[in-house]
Amino acid sequence: MADVLETKVAEPKEPVLAFGKKEKKLLTDPLSENNPITVQVLGICSALAVTSLVLPSFVISIAVIFVCAFSNLFTSLLRHYIPNQVRMIVQLVIIATLVSVVDYVLKAFSYEVWKQLSVFIGLIVTNCIIMGRLEAFALANKPWKSFLDGVGNGLGYGLILIGVAVIRELFGKGTLFAGSPIEMSIIGPSASYWINTAAESGIGTWFSWYANNNLFVLPPAAMFIIAIFIWIHRTWRPHLVDVS
Amino acid sequence: MEGSFVNIFIKAAFIENLVLMYFLGMCSYLAVSKSIKTAFGLGLAVIFVLAVTMPINWLIHEHLLSENGLFGRDLTFLKLILFIAVIASMVQLVEMVVEKVSPALYNALGIFLPLITVNCAILSGSLFMVTREYTLGETIAFGLGGGFGWFIAIVALAAIREKIRYSNVPAPLRGLGMAFLITGLMGVAFLGLMGIDPAALQ
Amino acid sequence: MHSNSYIIRFVLILTTVVALLLSVIYFALKDKAAVNEAIFNKRGIIAAVNDYLPAPVSEMSDEDVAQLFETDIEQKVLDMSGNLVDSLMAEDVDLAQERKKPESERLLPLYVYTAEGQKYYIMSVRGNGLWDAIWGAVAVKSDFSTVVGASFDHAQETPGLGAEIKDNPTFSERFKNKQIVNDGDYTSVQVVKGSVKNPSFQVDGISGATVTCNGVSEMLDRGIGYYLPYFNKIRS
Repeated sequence: MADVLETKVAEPKEPVLAFGKKEKKLLTDPLSENNPITVQVLGICSALAVTSLVLPSFVISIAVIFVCAFSNLFTSLLRHYIPNQVRMIVQLVIIATLVSVVDYVLKAFSYEVWKQLSVFIGLIVTNCIIMGRLEAFALANKPWKSFLDGVGNGLGYGLILIGVAVIRELFGKGTLFAGSPIEMSIIGPSASYWINTAAESGIGTWFSWYANNNLFVLPPAAMFIIAIFIWIHRTWRPHLVDVS
Repeated sequence: MEGSFVNIFIKAAFIENLVLMYFLGMCSYLAVSKSIKTAFGLGLAVIFVLAVTMPINWLIHEHLLSENGLFGRDLTFLKLILFIAVIASMVQLVEMVVEKVSPALYNALGIFLPLITVNCAILSGSLFMVTREYTLGETIAFGLGGGFGWFIAIVALAAIREKIRYSNVPAPLRGLGMAFLITGLMGVAFLGLMGIDPAALQ
Repeated sequence: MHSNSYIIRFVLILTTVVALLLSVIYFALKDKAAVNEAIFNKRGIIAAVNDYLPAPVSEMSDEDVAQLFETDIEQKVLDMSGNLVDSLMAEDVDLAQERKKPESERLLPLYVYTAEGQKYYIMSVRGNGLWDAIWGAVAVKSDFSTVVGASFDHAQETPGLGAEIKDNPTFSERFKNKQIVNDGDYTSVQVVKGSVKNPSFQVDGISGATVTCNGVSEMLDRGIGYYLPYFNKIRS
């Protein structure tokens, strides 16, 4: 995996707070070309278990973006002072601190979501994307660039996560955003959302024959969906195909 | 109480398999499953580290952080940091000890040990132990069971991947894509174990 | 390479800063989290008498919930032989902790809700689902037999299957007007799969979630049973 982790080290000439082409690339690259999940194969672990519903996936994605961006920033700020021998532990302490903050904030402001996510908030600590970006990028780059890299990788991760969650919730439960104020029931016998809001012959009546497929809410469905994502992605970008 | 330990072991190893049901430890699971030999080594290392760190974290949680602990106040909000610090330092310690005591074992496990620090399966073991309020004995049973389940999953995946190298897989699915599909199918197979009531096995 | 003393100093400073920072944030947010948690649990309890509330639980604000507990709900704590334990509030009893005690020493929380002159008794129950704990609240009329409502929650049942006990409102609806006593004999309410043979005491389960549904049956049978000594005392 080490080969995919390498990132081009930016030239130090650029002004620190600019938002030029390179900075934009830092944000957009992880969305497709260097996607943390489908290309770098990092951070698949913890959060996929919550992708059976869109709402928790959304919350986890935001938490990962936050933790990834700020741990990158702090590590980059401290990069000249961190002793190499205890590098890993220092990085883990920084990440764990940020994750703890997310945990407290979520518990205080959105208790129900916090309860739903339970241990998976804590498991962001071992999300390899974050550690991977610290090792591969933040230790060698300036703070602002590292911050953007963190945001970009968090976004690329969230993109896949929410994509998987939308498919799983829609076909598994027939709803989207269940549990949130904008919950909508889109397909299946209780497709009330469209019937209530659209014209009389709403779309809901066309899809009401759909019976929820329980396979989609079970964990293995996430694996199949990611495999299909990878398939589509690599058909579209053939240079990413595994040669081995 | 012996029965409940067996229960927890079987549940953790098969029914609630860390990789197949919770996706924990996925990164190293996918990256190190190209050959059986390395998969075997990593699997053993995971069992070992889980079995060592979980009781330590249990003692820390129960005797340092909890309200009845040494400091007499509820410090559980620091558990995340302490758990990960224990795991990271234990992994380093284990690495050093193994290197000194058994160079052969070190050569077999050595390169995988640092990888284990960021293996979610390890940290999740400690977090599950807290939310499920296990006793020390149950914690050890869960650690061994969880590690064993992880070991089985990665060795099985590596074996299948070794065979599949000779198959004609569509190019975009080669490697990673197939690994995901196989893991998914293994997960479906393991779902069949869900209905088993561990209590009935005794 | 850094010297050992530098490393130790660095780690010490880092851990001190981090521990201080976390403590400050944690204690700043702790009270808010505790209030949230209490309101969340209270909502679960009064969801069992949803039909008799001034407004459905989902439409009540946090203040409304707290107010209702102040004015219309009487909190009692019972021991296993049905005697009242004074000096304790029902909300202080944590069923998860009680389950660790020997059966005869456990305490039971009981909430008595009064609306329009009628009393409703809300019991708390707790048991095991497929993966982890499940719990709920069941309310009966003052005949101590007719169920007026139930609400369930779970730690981590499978979303879409076992988790439907909480997510699917029609599941808890099914418990309304069931009887827990048949001709003086305790029957509880069973969750059965397939056909309901005895609609007074049985409700339809959730397909694909047999283990969770069996867990609900067991939890109700045992949990409601704990309250019977108290009910018998009041009745006689």
